[in-house]
Amino acid sequence: MKLELGNFHVEDIEFGNETTFNDGLLTIDKEEALEVVYKDEHITEADLKIVKPGDMVRLVPVKEAIEPRYREEGGPVFPGVTGDLMQAGDGRTLAMKDMSVLVVGKHWGGFQDGLIDMGGEGAKYTYFSQLKNVVLVADTDEDFEKHEQQKKNRALRWAGMRLSEYLGKALKDKEPDEVETYTLDPITKRSEEVSELPSVVMVMQPQSQMEEPGYNDLNYGWDTNNMLPTFMHPNEVLDGAMISGSFMPCSSKWSTYDMQNFPLIRRLYEEHGETINFIGVIMSNLNVAMEQKERSAQFVAQMAKSLGADAALVAEEGYGNPDADYIGCLVALEDAGVKTVGVSNEATGRDGGSQPLVSLDPKADALVSTGNVSELIKLPPMDTVIGELEALARDGLSGGWDDDEVLGSSVKKDGSIVMENNSMFCGDQIAGWSTKTMKEY
Amino acid sequence: MVKEIERAGIPVVQMANLIPVAKTVGANRMVPTISIPYPLGDPSTSEEEQWKLRYHRVGVALDALTTDIEEQTVFDVEI
Amino acid sequence: MSKAIVYLNQFFGQIGGEDVADHEPEIRDKKVGAAMLYDQLLDADVTHTIICGDNFVGSKEEEAIDRILGFLEDKEFDIFFAGPAFQAGRYGNACGAIGKAVKEEFDVPVISSMNEENPGVDMYKKDIYIFPGGQSAAKMKDDVTKMVEFGNKILNGEKLLPAEEEGYFIRGIRHQYFLPDETPAYERAIDMLLKKINNEEYVSELPIPELDTVKIADPIEDLSKITVALVTSGGIVPIDNPDRIQSASATRWGKYYIDDVDQLQNRRQEAFKTIHAGYDPAAADTDPNRVVPVDAMRKYEEVGKIGKLYKYFYSTVGTGTTQGEAARMGQEITEELLEDGVQAVILTST
Repeated sequence: MKLELGNFHVEDIEFGNETTFNDGLLTIDKEEALEVVYKDEHITEADLKIVKPGDMVRLVPVKEAIEPRYREEGGPVFPGVTGDLMQAGDGRTLAMKDMSVLVVGKHWGGFQDGLIDMGGEGAKYTYFSQLKNVVLVADTDEDFEKHEQQKKNRALRWAGMRLSEYLGKALKDKEPDEVETYTLDPITKRSEEVSELPSVVMVMQPQSQMEEPGYNDLNYGWDTNNMLPTFMHPNEVLDGAMISGSFMPCSSKWSTYDMQNFPLIRRLYEEHGETINFIGVIMSNLNVAMEQKERSAQFVAQMAKSLGADAALVAEEGYGNPDADYIGCLVALEDAGVKTVGVSNEATGRDGGSQPLVSLDPKADALVSTGNVSELIKLPPMDTVIGELEALARDGLSGGWDDDEVLGSSVKKDGSIVMENNSMFCGDQIAGWSTKTMKEY
Repeated sequence: MVKEIERAGIPVVQMANLIPVAKTVGANRMVPTISIPYPLGDPSTSEEEQWKLRYHRVGVALDALTTDIEEQTVFDVEI
Repeated sequence: MSKAIVYLNQFFGQIGGEDVADHEPEIRDKKVGAAMLYDQLLDADVTHTIICGDNFVGSKEEEAIDRILGFLEDKEFDIFFAGPAFQAGRYGNACGAIGKAVKEEFDVPVISSMNEENPGVDMYKKDIYIFPGGQSAAKMKDDVTKMVEFGNKILNGEKLLPAEEEGYFIRGIRHQYFLPDETPAYERAIDMLLKKINNEEYVSELPIPELDTVKIADPIEDLSKITVALVTSGGIVPIDNPDRIQSASATRWGKYYIDDVDQLQNRRQEAFKTIHAGYDPAAADTDPNRVVPVDAMRKYEEVGKIGKLYKYFYSTVGTGTTQGEAARMGQEITEELLEDGVQAVILTST
C-alpha cells in the first residue's frame, strides 16, 4: 500500500466570491459553504468564522477539529462515514496544511467538549492555536441531548466533516507544495536488511467507553466498542479510516485532525528502515468492563508476539478507568516479551498529590507523560468569544463547573475563567505533539 | 530488620512506639509500646502496674503471631 | 519584612541533652540557638523559637501539636522552619509531625531538612518540604543554607522549579511542565523506545513507585509447640558490651544467652544495660525487661502459651543505622534463627 499525501500550505484564509485555493490563499464562498452545512436539516443555525494564531479569541464549546482533504481518485475522505466504504491509505490524497476546520457549538456544550484560546496566555494549552482555523459555529434541533452532559454531537460533527470535504475539493487538480510518501512492504516480503532491524508495532487505544452507539471513535464507520483489537496499516489511520468520537474528556481526546496527522505514527515512519522495522498498527480500544479490557490486552499481546514485534509504542486516548487498559496492555506486552513505551497523560489532582494513573505496575517502566488532566488554569477574559462562554460553567464540561466552594464559577463576570486542563481541546496532545511533561514539585 | 525476618517466612511482630515508622519500614504485624525509652514499663508507675502492662502487651504480640492478616495491621491493646 | 518562626528540639534549643528529651513545648519571642543562624541568612525576621523535647513529641504527639498550634494562634508568620534534624529519627519525626500540623493549620510554607536515612523523610516528605541533610550537626550551616535559599525564593515570589532542580525530597506531587526546549512527546517516545530496544539507559517520565512491602508470613497455628525469639533494636547488651556494638549507626549485632534466667538483671547488678545513644538510658538500665521482655516471655513459657523462649536474644542499635545495614544484620540474624528452628519473633524497638 502506498499513500501519497499532497500537502498545500495554507498561508491565509478569507471569505470571497468563490471557494478556491491559489498560492497559499484559501478563499471561501460563505454562502455556498453554509449550504453544505445546512444539508442536514437538524442544523438550525450556522455561521462561519476565520481565526488565526494570535487572535484574542476564545472558542468554546469546541467539539471537533478536522483537516480538509481530497481524494484524487475520488471517494469519501472518511470511508464508511461520509460515504461508501473503500480502502484508505493507498492512493493520493491532497491535504490543506497549517489549518483546520473547528466545530463549535453555538450554545450547548458537554463533558466531552473543550476550549481553545487563539492568543494570549491560554494559547499554549492546545495545538490548534498554532493553526489558522475555519470555525463552524452552529446550533441543532437535537433537543434530546441539549441539556445532557454526554452529547453525541452528531449533526455538528457530520456537518464539520461535510464542510471539510467541501473545502478540500478546492485542491482538485492542483499541484501540491510537497508530497509525503508513506509506504511499507508487506511484512513477510520485506528486505533482509529491514527485517533484521528491531520490529515495532504502534498500539492505539481509541476511546470506546460508551455502550450506546453514537459516542465512540469509529473505525471505517464501525463503533470501536464493538471491535476486538485488529491489525491495521498505518496509512489507513493517516488517511481517514479513524474518526474521533464524542465522549472523551477533552484534554485526553484525539480529534479527527489528530487521527489524520498522528505524530507518533509519522515519527515511527521516519525511523523505518533505519533503526526499526515498523510492522504496523494494532488498533485496540478502551471498553469499560474488566473482562473486555483483559480480552483486548490479550489480543494485543498475542498479535504483537505473532507478528514478531520486538517493541511497541502504546498510546491511550483517555484517563481514569482506561488507565487500567493502558497498564494492562503494557504488562501483557511485556509478559509476551515485547518491550514497551507508553504515551499518555496523568491525573494527579489539583494539588498534584493523587496517584497519576489509576492502575500502576512496575513492568510499565518506560512512560512518556504528556500533561495533567487536573491542572488548574486561570485565564484572563478574551476580546471575542466564539460559541458561548457560559457553557464552560453551565454545561458540565469536564474541566469546568458552575459552583466550587473555593473557586466559585468557572466563568467570572468579567469573562475571566478558571478551569481544569481537562477541558483544553485535545490539550494533552497524546497523539504526539505535546511539549509538556510531568515533574515532581 | 523486620522485613528480612519476615521475608524468610518467619512471622514477626514489631513492638514499637512510632507505629507510622514501623509501617513505613514495612512491618506487617505491629503492637504499640508506651514510649521510646521505656517501651514496656513506665518507671513512674508501680512495679505491679509495669508488669501487668508488659505481660498484657507481650501477650497481644504473641496472639498477633497466630492471627491471619491481609494487610499491615496494628493490634489493639487494653492496658 | 516577612516573619519566620523556627522549631528546634531540646538540644539545638539549648535546653540540654538526652536527659531533658522530655522537655515540654515552649515558645520564646527571640532567636534561640540554631534559630540565630536562620535569622542571619533569611530574607525575613525570625521572631520566635519553639523548643520541644524529642521524647515529649514521641510519646505525646497530639498534646505537643495542640500546644504548639496554640502558641502560634495569635502570631503572624509567613514561613516556618523545623530542624535540621540530620539523622536523628525522633527529631525528624518531631519536625515532620509539628511541621505538617503547622502547614495544615496555617497554610504557610514549612521547610525542614533531614538526612535521607532519617525515617522522618519517608513519613513526612509529602506534607512539608524536606531538604536532604547531613548526618550530623557538622553540616548545620550547609543544611540551614539550603533551607533558607529555598525559603527566600518563596518569600520573594520567585518562580519555583521542579523538585529535582530545587533539591528537596520528592513529595509525590506532580504537575505538568512545559519543556523549555519544547521537545514533543513523539520525539521523547522514540528516543525512549530506541534506548530501551538497544538496552541503553533511559528515564521514564512517570517512575512507578516501588511497592516496598514484604509478603505477610503465615500465622503460627499452635504457639505452644514452637520456639519464639526476642530481637531488639533497643541496644540491650551485657554490661561489658562484648561485641562492641556501636551506640549509633550500628553495623554489628550480638546474641546473648538467657536460657538460665527468668528475667534480665540490670546494670546495677552488672548484668545488662543499654548502649543505644538515641534515648534516655535510665529506664532501660534500671530494668532491661522494659525493652527486652524476657520476664514476660518466661512466664508465658511457664504457663504453656509458647513452647519455648529461644535461648538467645538478638540485639543491635537502631539509631542512625542505615536501612542497608539494618537489612544486612536482619539477614544474618534470620539465618541463625532458621538454622536453629525458631519459628516466630517478637522485635522490640525504641
